[in-house]
Amino acid sequence: MKRAMLRDLLAHKGRVAMTLVAITLGVAFVVATWVVSDSAAATSRGEGVRGDVGVSVRIADGAPELTVADKDRLAAIAGVASASGSVTGYAGVVGANGKLVRARPDKAGTGWDSSERFVLKDGRAPGKDEVALAEPQAREAGRKVGDRTRILLADGRSVDMVVAGLFTYRSLGEPDPVVAFGDPGVLGDSYARVELTARPGANVDTIASTARGLFDHATRTVDTGADLAAQARARADESARSSREGLLGFAAVSLLAGMFVIANTFAMLVTQRTRQLALLRAIGATRRQVRRAVLVEAGALGFVGSTLGAIVGIGLGLLGLVVNAPEGTSISLTITPTGILIGYAAGVLVTMISAYASARRAAAVPPVAALRADGSFAPRSLRVRSVAGLVTAAAGVVAIALTLRNDLSTTERIVNMGGGIAIWLGVLLLAPALADAVLRPVGRLLSRRGGPAARLGIRNSVRDSRRTAATTSSLVVGLALVCAFATLGSSITSMLASSIRATVPAAATVVTAPVDRVALGTDVLGKVKSVPGVDVVSADRYAFVKVTHNGSTSPTTMSAIEPDGVVRPEILEGTGDVRRGAVVGENEAAMIGARVGDEVTLVLDPATSITTTIVGLHKGMEGRPLFYVDVATVPAKFRDGAVTTVYATGADPAAVRAGIAAAFQDRPDVVVTDREGVIAEATESFELLMALMYALFGAAIVIAAFGVVNTLALSVMERTREIGVLRAVGAGRTLVRRAIRAESVVICSYGGVLGILVGVGFGAVMQHAMMGQSLWEFSVPYGIIAAALAGMVVVGVLAALWPARRAARTDVLAAITTA
Amino acid sequence: MCRAAGSGTVYGVRTSTNSPAVHGRDLSKVYGSGSSGDVRVVALDDVTVTFPRERFTAIMGPSGSGKSTLLHCLAGLDQPTSGQVFIGDTETSSLSDAQLTALRRDRVGFVFQAFNLLPTLTAWENIVLPLDLAGRRPDQAFADAVIDGVGLRHRLGHKPNQLSGGQQQRVACARALITKPEVVFADEPTGALDSKSSADVLGFLRRSVDHLGQTVVMVTHEPSAAAYADQVLFLADGRVVGELAAPTAERVLDRMKDLETAVAR
Repeated sequence: MKRAMLRDLLAHKGRVAMTLVAITLGVAFVVATWVVSDSAAATSRGEGVRGDVGVSVRIADGAPELTVADKDRLAAIAGVASASGSVTGYAGVVGANGKLVRARPDKAGTGWDSSERFVLKDGRAPGKDEVALAEPQAREAGRKVGDRTRILLADGRSVDMVVAGLFTYRSLGEPDPVVAFGDPGVLGDSYARVELTARPGANVDTIASTARGLFDHATRTVDTGADLAAQARARADESARSSREGLLGFAAVSLLAGMFVIANTFAMLVTQRTRQLALLRAIGATRRQVRRAVLVEAGALGFVGSTLGAIVGIGLGLLGLVVNAPEGTSISLTITPTGILIGYAAGVLVTMISAYASARRAAAVPPVAALRADGSFAPRSLRVRSVAGLVTAAAGVVAIALTLRNDLSTTERIVNMGGGIAIWLGVLLLAPALADAVLRPVGRLLSRRGGPAARLGIRNSVRDSRRTAATTSSLVVGLALVCAFATLGSSITSMLASSIRATVPAAATVVTAPVDRVALGTDVLGKVKSVPGVDVVSADRYAFVKVTHNGSTSPTTMSAIEPDGVVRPEILEGTGDVRRGAVVGENEAAMIGARVGDEVTLVLDPATSITTTIVGLHKGMEGRPLFYVDVATVPAKFRDGAVTTVYATGADPAAVRAGIAAAFQDRPDVVVTDREGVIAEATESFELLMALMYALFGAAIVIAAFGVVNTLALSVMERTREIGVLRAVGAGRTLVRRAIRAESVVICSYGGVLGILVGVGFGAVMQHAMMGQSLWEFSVPYGIIAAALAGMVVVGVLAALWPARRAARTDVLAAITTA
Repeated sequence: MCRAAGSGTVYGVRTSTNSPAVHGRDLSKVYGSGSSGDVRVVALDDVTVTFPRERFTAIMGPSGSGKSTLLHCLAGLDQPTSGQVFIGDTETSSLSDAQLTALRRDRVGFVFQAFNLLPTLTAWENIVLPLDLAGRRPDQAFADAVIDGVGLRHRLGHKPNQLSGGQQQRVACARALITKPEVVFADEPTGALDSKSSADVLGFLRRSVDHLGQTVVMVTHEPSAAAYADQVLFLADGRVVGELAAPTAERVLDRMKDLETAVAR
């Protein structure tokens, strides 16, 4: 019995080819994710961590650096063999093209030493007036061993040095430096870190506890090298895990799209074999046996698909690693049994679950069906499904209606998003009924205009609305996700743009660093002020700090600004005058439970904090600081050394811009732009991220396209006789081909429109729930929508190619003489 | 091609004067090469037949006598191994697929045993399908006559699955006639019907010959169906073995018995 079914499966390989493609792609995605994340973790674990440090003493973020005297005190601890201090400072490498390399420059400089921190890849250790560069950045800068390169320092100075060598860095948790100076004195004579090595036989834990006794805990952190190494490895694993989870999310979407394709295929296979199944029942097969047989068939298909998927996945993973890894670095390709097994489990389970409903339906075929002439099921009523869909969608609408306010708590945000998902599910359940309700009238309208091919195609697309809906469901899932994120993305970018427009005057010249939120050189503010024609100069001093209110502390962002400056946040309540106190974002105030008049403490660094009163609430905006304070109230260190952006205006804005541009002509670490430039910069990186997202969701759409091919091909097989009659009464091959193409385009367009509507709606909910904007404030991603619609028509045409050819080739005589 | 209204046509069925509706000359159909274990089967063995206009001809014969193969070859659905087929003046073996398609659409009507209709189209749409495919509008008076002839006026908006087998077959007959073809080929049109429905369908075919001037060629194995025809052609072993004019069910049955005993011997 099972053998009979499997043999049948083998005999009709063509019928399941597309299903196999869907399973293979889904599983390949899962396996590739595993291969990439495992390999990335193994690579960073294997090479990135060093083991020569006994004890490390580090400064807390923002605390004063360790002095030479501190280092000597540490060197004097019993059991310490040597103490070496790591100088850390601003260093920006200017590339051959005159631009700064993209790495964050603020902690990119360090002194060269012979410890295991540096792995020399080329050249030699740098001497005085020489540097070694990190290999990837040297490549980006276009610098080789022996080249002379310019390096920018914190205060606007720059030095020209010869590149003596190239290194890769082995970190113990600190950010990887880009420039290692032969003479660390270039960066100063204090240390961000002092590393101790122990004499043989000395106990590192004792040394660590002695070192701890020497310093204030708030400003210095002491750890053993072994602990730091363990932490670094854990971080590598953690980052591998989180990137894996992120990618698995996309893989799950692909599998979900695959499920619709598989379920639809099995539904059609069972329908087509009704008579055969009935015959099996008539000669004595039990329901259970029939059900099992279909499930075994699904399992076998899942197994074959998973095997192909695992192979393709390993290939894809390797490809991903090679494409992403910088040239010359060695990748340790790691294929774990876990990844492969999970791929198999996903493939087989997804296939069997998808086929389960069809298996039950197959088992329910009555033996008498073997005798029925038409050998098909009576159409099932859509009522139960549609009612379920309506109820689900209605629940979603209620959930969203209850959470329309902008200041939502976390729970309410989840309810809001849940409402969006419920509507989505509801639409998928309603899809067949909607197909009936929408496509029939539209079809009637189009039929009147189009020729017989269009008419027949449209008729066929609404012939089995369940099938049409199932075919489009995977399209709807993939497209809706793309459109949802496109809506979210375009809402965020338009919000970013409007927040920048609201705070920065159009006429202002903006001076900023090429790398986001890196402090400008200490000389920049003064230089801007001295440009002739500049009247008003103000600055943002964006910083990540902590806020304490009512005894609880949370991370936040802050900027110290000039009270009469160019930058003006939009005030919702109280005053915007920072001379009287702090101005806080509305959402942030709600989050920490503070109101106007409350006192808050901003902790700038372990040694510095300011206590102030909230005097006003501003409309918090993406990319803008949450707290504004008067620059006069912060210590000098946070005034000129922490400037992130300078805004300047004058009577003649064009002259101001030209003057400032001229003043910083030779400074790759300073970008002179204006409001629109800032907007373009802010949205560009974001759009890149969105593009990556579309590519990952694209896999689901590809699977869905195969699903369309599948449905059409199976429908064509099912309709052989009908196509024969059509050909016999005078339809040419071209007409048959056109009719199938019309059917395909209708199915795809329906899926496209439904996907776009659901997606834009869900995107609106997402931006409401995630960013606290009102539900209606979303912006429509017209470009993506147009591309999606055009893409669906193209998919429709392409998906019909093979089935249409098959249909057109139908042998008339064979078709009408085989009953 | 010369087309003129022939004599005796009521609603102007197109005829080419002076030539028979269908003529098959020296038709042979051989399946298999006969070499290397491949069994050579001769389905048609040098058959020459002529079907005059405005006549109802039945083709009969035992199973395997080649009657369906003959019909398929005559209708342009199948290519004979050798020989020629003329529909009116047109020799069909030299036609391309597109030309054959147009010929089937415009000049030939078909009624099959079952599954004749497109399930997504209504009865009316099925009837006018050949005209629709050709991009022509139906001649309303003629369409009315055909529809009233099959007695389906009140069923035109129904889909095939809402019609009985007999009704479906009558829709198929109406579709075969709507283009005013030179000949209607019917392949066991009553094979899947009960006797009442069979009588309806056969009666309609008969009237289409008598009143509309149609030419009908029908393959059947039922003597009672053959009795509706003007003449019966008997086939056995791929050859024409006899003819019977003005047949009745009894005479046809007798002939069939003779044939079967002859074959058995």
